[in-house]
Amino acid sequence: MKEILLNPQLWSATLAMATPLALPALGGTFSERSGVVNIAMEGIMLIAAFFAVLFAHLTGSAWLGLLGAVIVGMIVAVIFAWAAVTLTADQVILGMAINIFASGFTAYLLNTIFGFSGTPTDTPMLPNINIPIIKNIPFVGQILSGNSIIVYLMIILIFASDYFLFHTNLGLRIRAVGENPEAAETAGINVIKLRYLGVALSGLFSAIGGAYLSIGLLNSFSTDMSSGRGYIALAAMIFGKWTPFGSFGAALLFGFATALSMQLQNSALSKNIIMMLPYILTVLALVGVGGKSVSPAADGVPYTPKK
Amino acid sequence: MKKLRAVLSLMLAFVLTLSLLSGCSSATKQQQSSQSNNTTQNAKNKDFKVGLVTDVGGINDHSFNQLAYQGIEKAKSELGVTVNFIQSKQQTDYVTNLTQFAQQKYNLVIAVGFLMKDAVEQVSKEFPDTKFLIIDSDITDRPNVASATFKTEQCGYLVGVMAGLMEKEKNSKLNDQNVVGVVGGMQIPPVDSYIAGFQQGVKAVNPDTKVLVSYTGNFNDPASGKQMALTQISQGADIVFHVAGQTGDGVINAAKEKNVYAIGVDADQNYMAPDTVMTSALKKVDVATFETIKNALNNNFKSGLVYFDLANDGVGYAKPIKDVPQSIVDKVNEYANKIKDGTIKVSDQVQK
Repeated sequence: MKEILLNPQLWSATLAMATPLALPALGGTFSERSGVVNIAMEGIMLIAAFFAVLFAHLTGSAWLGLLGAVIVGMIVAVIFAWAAVTLTADQVILGMAINIFASGFTAYLLNTIFGFSGTPTDTPMLPNINIPIIKNIPFVGQILSGNSIIVYLMIILIFASDYFLFHTNLGLRIRAVGENPEAAETAGINVIKLRYLGVALSGLFSAIGGAYLSIGLLNSFSTDMSSGRGYIALAAMIFGKWTPFGSFGAALLFGFATALSMQLQNSALSKNIIMMLPYILTVLALVGVGGKSVSPAADGVPYTPKK
Repeated sequence: MKKLRAVLSLMLAFVLTLSLLSGCSSATKQQQSSQSNNTTQNAKNKDFKVGLVTDVGGINDHSFNQLAYQGIEKAKSELGVTVNFIQSKQQTDYVTNLTQFAQQKYNLVIAVGFLMKDAVEQVSKEFPDTKFLIIDSDITDRPNVASATFKTEQCGYLVGVMAGLMEKEKNSKLNDQNVVGVVGGMQIPPVDSYIAGFQQGVKAVNPDTKVLVSYTGNFNDPASGKQMALTQISQGADIVFHVAGQTGDGVINAAKEKNVYAIGVDADQNYMAPDTVMTSALKKVDVATFETIKNALNNNFKSGLVYFDLANDGVGYAKPIKDVPQSIVDKVNEYANKIKDGTIKVSDQVQK
C-alpha cells in the first residue's frame, strides 16, 4: 500500500483525471448559481473536444484549437440559454437534447471531414509545463510539475471563480438571481442578462474541459470520448455544494478513486471489485459524507420578467 | 407563452431528428455512390445487398470496426455488390439497426462484435431468409447465421514472444526491470484471448518477465487508456500491448510520450506513432467479411462457426519496426510454425 501511495503517477493521474471533471463542474456551478439547471455539459464538452482538434489541425496551433473550442462551446451554451431563459423551455429536456445531438453531430463531422481513419496523427497538442526549481524536488516535483497547461489553468480558474462568485458585486448578483429572481429584479438587476452570463460561463469552462480531453491529454478525437464526464461533473458540483472549491475537491476525490483503481489493477484484489471502486466512492460520498446539499432556491425555474 | 412552447417543441424535434439523421446520413451517401460507381458491373451482383452494423466503437476506431468496413469496401469494388452501413451509438441500438437492414431485404447483414450476440440471435429468428455474419461470437444453432471466430490467442502469443525477447535487448526505450503491460478494454472473451496468448508467449521465451494486466472497462475513453498505460509504465513496463479499441489510442499516446514501446491490436497501427508501435497483433476481420460476402454471393454461405487462425492467415502480426532485430523476428516465425503444425497449443484463458 505504501508503495502505491508513494508512486508519483498515482497523484499525477489523480490530477489528470480530476481536471476534465472539475472544469465542467465549475461551469455547472455558474449556471446553476444563476438559476439555470445545465446538464448539457457532456454535450458541450464533446463538441468542444472535436472542434479543438479540427481548429488545431487546420491552423497548426493547439492554442487556436483551444480558442476555437471555447468559441464553439460558448455558442452552444448561448443557444441553450436562448431556449432555456428567453423561451423558458424545460431545462433538463433541453440539456438532454443537446447531449444526444452532440454525440451524433460530432460522429458525423468526424466521418465527413476526416474520413474513416480518424483525426490526423500530426495534430498539435497543448504543451506540458515544467516548473523550474519545483521540478527538481523529488516526488513533489514529479506530481506538481510536467502536467498539461490546462491543469494549471484549471487551478487558477478555481481560485478566480471563487473570488468572482463570493467577493464581487457581479458574483453576488448572479447568486441573487438564482436564489430569488423577483427580489433581484426589484433591486434593479437584469435577471435575463445574468442568466445568459451564467450559462455562457458554463459553456466556456465545459469547452476547456473538452479541449483538455482531445488536445490536452491526447492529440486526437474519437466518438463519445467525453464518456459521461459531464454527468459525473454534475455529481461533483452537487457534492461540492455549488461552490468552486467544493467542486474541485469532489473532482479530486473522483479522480483519486479512478487513479487508485488503476494502481490496484495488478494487486491481489479482484479486478471487478477494483473497477467498481470509483463508483462506490461516488455513491458513498453523495449519500453520506457530504452532508446536506441545498441547491440555489430558483435553480431550474424559468423566470418571466414582470411587465 | 403557448406559442413559444410550440416553437420550442418543434425545435427540439428538429434537433433530435437531425442527430438521428447524422448517424446514418453518411451511410446513405455511401450507398448512392456505390450504385453510381458500379453501373458497369454485373446486375446480379449489384442486386446483392450487404449491410454492416458496427459496434459502439464506430467505423473510425482504428480497429476491428474499421477493418470490417474495409472488407465491405473491398467487396464493393471487387465483386460489385451494394454495401451500406450503420454505426451503433449504444448497445440498445443493435436490434434496431440489424432489423432495419433485414426489413429492407438485405441479403447479408454483418454484425461486428461479441456484444451483439443476443441481438443477432433475436433478429435472425425474425428474419429467417436474411443471412447474418457475426464477428467474434459463437452462434451455432441457426441455419442463417455464420460466426467468425478468430484465434487471437495465437497472434497474441506471437507478439508476446516478440515482447519477451525484446526485454532481453538493450536500447534507449527499454529499462532493465523486465516488466511488460497489457491494457484491455472490457473483460470479455475476444479481449481476454489476446491477453492470454500474450502472457503465454512472453513466458515461453522469458519466464522471469512480469506481465501487468489492466482493464479500463470501456472501448471509447482514450483519456483513461492513457492514464492506465502511464500507471503501468510507472510500475516498470517498457512495452505496452493494448486490446482496447479507441481507448488504446491513449495507450499508444502514453507510450510515445514516455518513450517506450507499444504494440497495436487488430489492424496495423504503426501509422499512429511510427517509432513507438513496434508491431501489431492482427485480426483480419477484413478478410473474414470479404470471404463471407464472396461465399454468400456464390451461394456458398456456410452457417455456424468459421475459424480464422494462423494456418489460414486469419490472424498474424504486422511487420515489426527496425528496432526489432532480425534474430527476434526469425524466432517469432519459428514459434508461428510450431503453432501452425500444432506443436504448441495456445490457451485462451487469462492467468490470474
